[in-house]
Amino acid sequence: MSESINITNIKDRIDRIEDILASVAAGDMEARIQTETEDDFSGIEAAIDLLINDLTEELRQREKVQKELESKLEKIQEQQKTILQQQEDLLELSSPVSKVWDNILILPVIGTLDSQRTQVMMENLLQKIVETGCTISILDITGVPTVDTQVANHLLKTVTAARLLGAECIISGISPAIAQTIVHLGIDLSTIRTKATLQDAMIFAMKQNKRDDEIRALKNIVIPNEHAD
Amino acid sequence: MNLHEKRIPIIKIHDYLIVPIQVDMHDKMAIQLQSQILEEIARTRAKGVLIDISVLEMVDSFIGRMLSGMASMAAIMDTSVVIVGMQPAVAITLVELGLEMPGVDTALNMEKGMEMLERKLNNRKNNSV
Amino acid sequence: MLEFGNEIKCELLGKFIIENEYDIVTVRQTIRQFAKDAGMGIVDQTRITTAVSELFRNMYNYAGGGEVLIERGEVENHNALIVTCIDKGPGIENLELAMSDGFTSGMGMGYGLPGAKRLVDRFEILSKVNEGTSVRIMKWK
Repeated sequence: MSESINITNIKDRIDRIEDILASVAAGDMEARIQTETEDDFSGIEAAIDLLINDLTEELRQREKVQKELESKLEKIQEQQKTILQQQEDLLELSSPVSKVWDNILILPVIGTLDSQRTQVMMENLLQKIVETGCTISILDITGVPTVDTQVANHLLKTVTAARLLGAECIISGISPAIAQTIVHLGIDLSTIRTKATLQDAMIFAMKQNKRDDEIRALKNIVIPNEHAD
Repeated sequence: MNLHEKRIPIIKIHDYLIVPIQVDMHDKMAIQLQSQILEEIARTRAKGVLIDISVLEMVDSFIGRMLSGMASMAAIMDTSVVIVGMQPAVAITLVELGLEMPGVDTALNMEKGMEMLERKLNNRKNNSV
Repeated sequence: MLEFGNEIKCELLGKFIIENEYDIVTVRQTIRQFAKDAGMGIVDQTRITTAVSELFRNMYNYAGGGEVLIERGEVENHNALIVTCIDKGPGIENLELAMSDGFTSGMGMGYGLPGAKRLVDRFEILSKVNEGTSVRIMKWK
């Protein structure tokens, strides 16, 4: 046997390696074997230390990249939020409900209506009706070239919902294309009041106002109670 | 809030009954309320009923039908019913549910509801002369 | 008991039993609160509360009650509120008919199921005669 293996304290040193590897596995990247003995086994120990060094460096790099990605993601999410908020703001802005006269609200709609925008519009209008107590509102869609059936449905739903609140909603400025869409829906249109132009709708609303005022004036002329006797 | 005890008041003012519904009603309660109102109409000979639902956060098909049934029943007893103060969200939901409540009178608030009843009463008196 | 497949990752928010009319009121109020917490607007809150009210009524009238699961889950990239109603009632013989507008087999005028369906973003129903009915609805922002 010309080659002899020279290892001292083998049991303790293997235990130490196990301990260190366990610490590293548990996340302690500072742990090293750092053997002081010089023999045939110390090369392996040094190699393990080197590997741990490499691993530590690798992990550090990865962490850095991950942090960068996370911050980027956060930024994107922040931007996304802004975009959504702006979209919502835009939706609100694009359906301005204004009180133009005693008891009369107008909602002029311009541009393409999608289902979401129509829903927001409808909610806004109904909310405004309740807030202002105006019993007549005019939904002017002169600036809307066409609508799909879903949007047409939402528009008619708004009119019905307004009636449930105790208000009347007149639609004005219906284009030929929209008229076609609405009729094809097969909805009972007898309860929906439409006017050709915004002007016609306004005249109608003012007349309605005048009628209500006259009735209110009449109220003071009290007719004797039916069953007062 | 004890749902078991809550009763909905029916207040009489002149020719009118005012019914403020301020609890989330279950079905049995809704049916009871309907009979109570009809009995009060008969007892007080009220000419109009204002049902205020402005604080109701939800009207489902049962309560919706109770309300429109109420209006028809009162009508054949020669009394008008006005539903007052429905919330926009409730109105939208009712329409989507398919309950459009045709023939039921509605008003934005108590004052407008009262005016509506007075108008109806006046019309009726003028027509009956 | 009829159960839906569990393909959606859900977090259970609550489990309730419907036995009487008071339960219907309290559980639907609880669901409105969950909808509010999920950031839904007032109209969507009202839609889901009304939809569950219709389902609870069906469950109570036809099956004497049942179980309600409220969950939150990720559906089609939406944060959805999921309500499942499970009863062990007589079941529905003709689902297609029950889902059509104006159909009723007893109390009510048939706005229940089709009405509830229109108010939510997703509606699923399973029913077997003599075993029971399960309805799962989902609503998102």
